[in-house]
Amino acid sequence: MGRSYIVEDAVEGCLSKLCEQKAGSVTGLLLGQSSPQRDFVVMATRTPPREETPAGNPVDKEWVSEHARQVSRMLPGGLSVLGVFIITDTEAKDTLTTLRQLVFAMESLVSSEQLWSPAEDDVSDCVALHVNRKTRKTFCRTFDVKDPKSTAKPADWRYQAGVCSSWSMVSCCLHVDMLVPLPDNKTDPENMDKCLKEELRGWAQRLESGVCLMDGRKLAEDAELPGGQKRNVRQTYTAQILVTPSEQRLADEEQRCGGSVSIRGAVHSRAYLHSNKPKARLAQKLLKRDAVSTVTTRVQMLLEELLTSEDENKSSSKQKRELFCLPHRVFCPLKASGPLCVCDYQFSDESVCEVTERLKEMLDIDAAEEDLDSSQEAPGEITEREVGAEPTVETVVALVPKRNSFIGVAMATAVALLATAASMLYLNDV
Amino acid sequence: MVVTDSSDSGTILRVRGPLEFKCQLDSTDALLMQKVISRTFATLHSQVKSESCVLTVCDSSLIIWPNKGVYVTPEEITPNTLCEDIHQWIQTDEQESAGKRSSKKKNKKSSAASVINLRLMMEVTKTGPLSAPILRRTLQKSHFLSTTLPMDCVVRTTCSDTIKDAFERLLEALTHQLCEMEKVTLQHMKGATLLVPEPLHFLLPEPKGLVTVVYPAGVPDSQLETHRKELHQQFELPDDWPYFRRANAFHFSNEPYKDGYLRNPHVVLTHPTLDNGKVYLVQGIYSYHHYMQDHMDDNGWGCAYRSLQTICSWFTQQGYVERAVPTHREIQQTLVDVGDKQGSFVGSRQWIGSIEVQVVLNQLLEVTSKIMFVSQGSELASKGRELANHFLTEGTPIMIGGGVLAHTILGVAWSETTGQIRYLILDPHYTGAEDLQVITDKGWCGWKGPDFWDQTAYYNLCLPQRPKVI
Repeated sequence: MGRSYIVEDAVEGCLSKLCEQKAGSVTGLLLGQSSPQRDFVVMATRTPPREETPAGNPVDKEWVSEHARQVSRMLPGGLSVLGVFIITDTEAKDTLTTLRQLVFAMESLVSSEQLWSPAEDDVSDCVALHVNRKTRKTFCRTFDVKDPKSTAKPADWRYQAGVCSSWSMVSCCLHVDMLVPLPDNKTDPENMDKCLKEELRGWAQRLESGVCLMDGRKLAEDAELPGGQKRNVRQTYTAQILVTPSEQRLADEEQRCGGSVSIRGAVHSRAYLHSNKPKARLAQKLLKRDAVSTVTTRVQMLLEELLTSEDENKSSSKQKRELFCLPHRVFCPLKASGPLCVCDYQFSDESVCEVTERLKEMLDIDAAEEDLDSSQEAPGEITEREVGAEPTVETVVALVPKRNSFIGVAMATAVALLATAASMLYLNDV
Repeated sequence: MVVTDSSDSGTILRVRGPLEFKCQLDSTDALLMQKVISRTFATLHSQVKSESCVLTVCDSSLIIWPNKGVYVTPEEITPNTLCEDIHQWIQTDEQESAGKRSSKKKNKKSSAASVINLRLMMEVTKTGPLSAPILRRTLQKSHFLSTTLPMDCVVRTTCSDTIKDAFERLLEALTHQLCEMEKVTLQHMKGATLLVPEPLHFLLPEPKGLVTVVYPAGVPDSQLETHRKELHQQFELPDDWPYFRRANAFHFSNEPYKDGYLRNPHVVLTHPTLDNGKVYLVQGIYSYHHYMQDHMDDNGWGCAYRSLQTICSWFTQQGYVERAVPTHREIQQTLVDVGDKQGSFVGSRQWIGSIEVQVVLNQLLEVTSKIMFVSQGSELASKGRELANHFLTEGTPIMIGGGVLAHTILGVAWSETTGQIRYLILDPHYTGAEDLQVITDKGWCGWKGPDFWDQTAYYNLCLPQRPKVI
C-alpha cells in the first residue's frame, strides 16, 4: 500500500497544457501539503527555461533543485515542494533514474536551508510523477528521501475538484528582536551570515518549544482545531506564541567583539491546514516553521545582496553604523485553489512589477498588481532608537537587489548602474 | 526550640524564568560601563512591565497577562477568581509519598503552605500589521556581555486574595528583584566581568515568612558577611543563627534532593504527649545516614561513623561549613592526622566512640562539642532537663554511644513535673533503602522510652555546639 495523492483539478489542466508544448522533456515541481494518511497536491509549476540551454536537452538536476529552493522561499507554511514531475515521450521506466536523482538532489538542497529540526511525524516520501506526452497517462511513484537506498514505491494519483477550498489558515504577527556579536576583525557579510545563522537556530529552537495559543486558548496537542468541518466555510485562526525568554545557559559569555548585528521588527507568518480534521499540533508545527523560514529567508536574501554589493564596492568606507531594511512579505492568491496564497519578498525600493515578474517566472502565475496583498506588513521604518542612545550618523543603505534570478543579463546591468548612482541616504538622529 | 504548629494555610505563588541580559561595553571606563548596565536593566524593566510579559501556571492551561489588566485565559477564570481556585486547574500525578498514607503518621509540618509554580514567558506575537524587520550592523570594537538572569520570585497569598491582587504583587516582586539584581551586579563588577545575580529564598520565623535575597554567584558565603549583617538588622534577627547562609535557602517541597538521602524523616512522626510535657527537637535540616549507604558495607561496625555523618550533614546544610559529609576513610584519616590513632586505623573496621566523634568534628568542621557521661543507662532517664536545654539552645543532633551500639538522638519529650521522658532516636543500624514509610513504620526513626537503653552499660554522649555566627 503506497501513498495516496489527492490532486487539484487545475493541476491536470496545467500538466495537459505542458504536454502540448515543444518536444523534449519538461520538468517541474509539485506543490502541496503532506499528512500521515494522504498528500494533497495543489499546484504544478514547470522548471523555468534556462537561457543558455535550448529546449529539449537532458534534464538539468541542479537547475531543477535551484528552482525548488527558490520556490520553497515563496511558499507560506503548510505548502511545500512535494516532488517533481517529468513529461516525456518515453516510457515511465526510462525516466525512473532521472526522477530519482531529481528528487534526492532537490530534497537535499531545500532541506539544507531549513533551520528547524525534523519532527517524528514528518512525511519523508517525495512524489515522482511521470506523464507520457502522447497518451497523457500518469505514472506516480514515491521515494523515501530519508533512506538513500530507497526504491520507487507505487502511489495513487487522483484528481479532485476543490481540494483546498475549505482549507483553514492560522496566522500571527511575530516580533523579532535579536542581538548578535560579530567577532573581532570579521565583520564582513560571510561572518555575519555565520553568526546570524547560529542565533537563528537558537531562536528557532526557542520558538519550537514555545507555547502556542489558537484564538486565545491553549489547546492540547491532539485536540482538533475548533470550528468543526463546515464545508465552504474557511476558518482562520489567530495564533499567539509565548516563549521562554532565553535558553538556560550555564556559562555567561563575555567576549571581545568587532561589532554587532541586531534585527528588530515584525513579520507576518501564516500556515495553511488541510481540511481533514487538522490537529492543534499540526497547526503549531506549520506556523512555527513558517515563522522561522520567513525570517531566515529574508536575512539570507539581504546577506546575499550585501555580499554582491560589497564585492563590487570594495573601496566603500565601512560605516560605523548601517541600517538595512529586510524585504517585506507580499501575498498573491492562487485563484483556482481557494484560500491559498503564495508569497514573495519585496525590498523597499523595488517596484511591485518586479514581484509580479518573479511570480510569473518561478510559479507561472499571471498576477495583476491589484491582486497582490502587501497589507500584512509595513515596509521597514527607520525611526526606532534605543533607550538613551546617543545621536549618531546612521547610514541607510537602500539596496537594489541583483537577484540570483533567471532574468536576463541585460536587466541586471541596468539595475547595477542604478545602484551605484544614488543609494546612500544619511539620517541624523536629532 | 519548642515545636509550634504552623497555622499558615495560604498558597505560595512562585514564578521563575530566565531573562536575557545582553549588552555591548564600548569602553572600559567604569562609569560608562555602569551606565550601559543600568540601561540594559532598564530595558528588562520595560520588558517585564510590558503587555508581552506573560505568566503561565505550570502543568495547567492557565496563562495570565499581568500587564493587560491581569487578563487570564481560559475565560472561565477572571481576575477576580480566588487564587486558591488555581489549584483545581493544575494536573498532578496523584502519587502521594509513602510516609503520608498511614493514618498513624501526622504530616502537618512537612506540608506547609502549598506552592503554585509559574513560569515567566514573553509573548512574541503582537497584533499587526507592523513594520518589517531592520538589520543594524554596528562596527565597534567592544566587549559583548551575554548572560541569563534567573528570576525567582515568591508571593504569599491568603485565602481571600484574588488573582488580580496576587499577580499585581508578583509583578512588583519581579520589578523589585530586577532592582536588587542591578544593585548586586554593579556592586560586584570586576572590570568587564559580570557575576550573575542569583535569588534565593529564606524562611524566617513568623510572621516574616519567606524572604528573597539576591547574592552574586560565585562569591562564597565567607565574603558576604557584611551583606548578611545588614539583612539581620533589617529583619531584626538574632545574631546567632545563620538564617541567610546559602545552604539554609528554603527548600520547596516539590524539588527532590539530588543526593538521594532522606531529610528530616522525623517530621512525619506523631510526637508523644506527656502530662505537662513538651517536645524539644533538633532545629534545621539533617540527612539520614545509615549502614550500607554509598556502597559502603559497614554493617556491624560503622554505626558511630554514620551518626557522625548525620551530624556533619547538619552543619553543612545549615551553612556552617561548605564541605561534603566525610566518608569512613576520611573520618579515620582525620583521627590519624591528629594523632589519636595509628596509621593502620585507616581502612580498618574499628569502632569509634563519642570522643572520636568530638575530635573529628573539631578537626574537620571546627565545631566544639560537650561530652556527657552517664555511668549507667538508667541514669539517662534523669537527663531530661539537660537534653531539653541542648535542643533549645544548640539544636544539633546528639551522638550517643554505649553498650555496643551508637545512635543519634534528635529530640526529647520531657515533662518537668512527672519526669516522664521519651527520646527521638535515629538509628544508624538500618540497612535498607531510603524508604520513608519503612523507616518510620519500623522505628528506625522513632520515639523510644527509657528502657531503650541498656540499663547497666555506661554511655557517652557527644553534644555538638552550634557556632554563634551568621
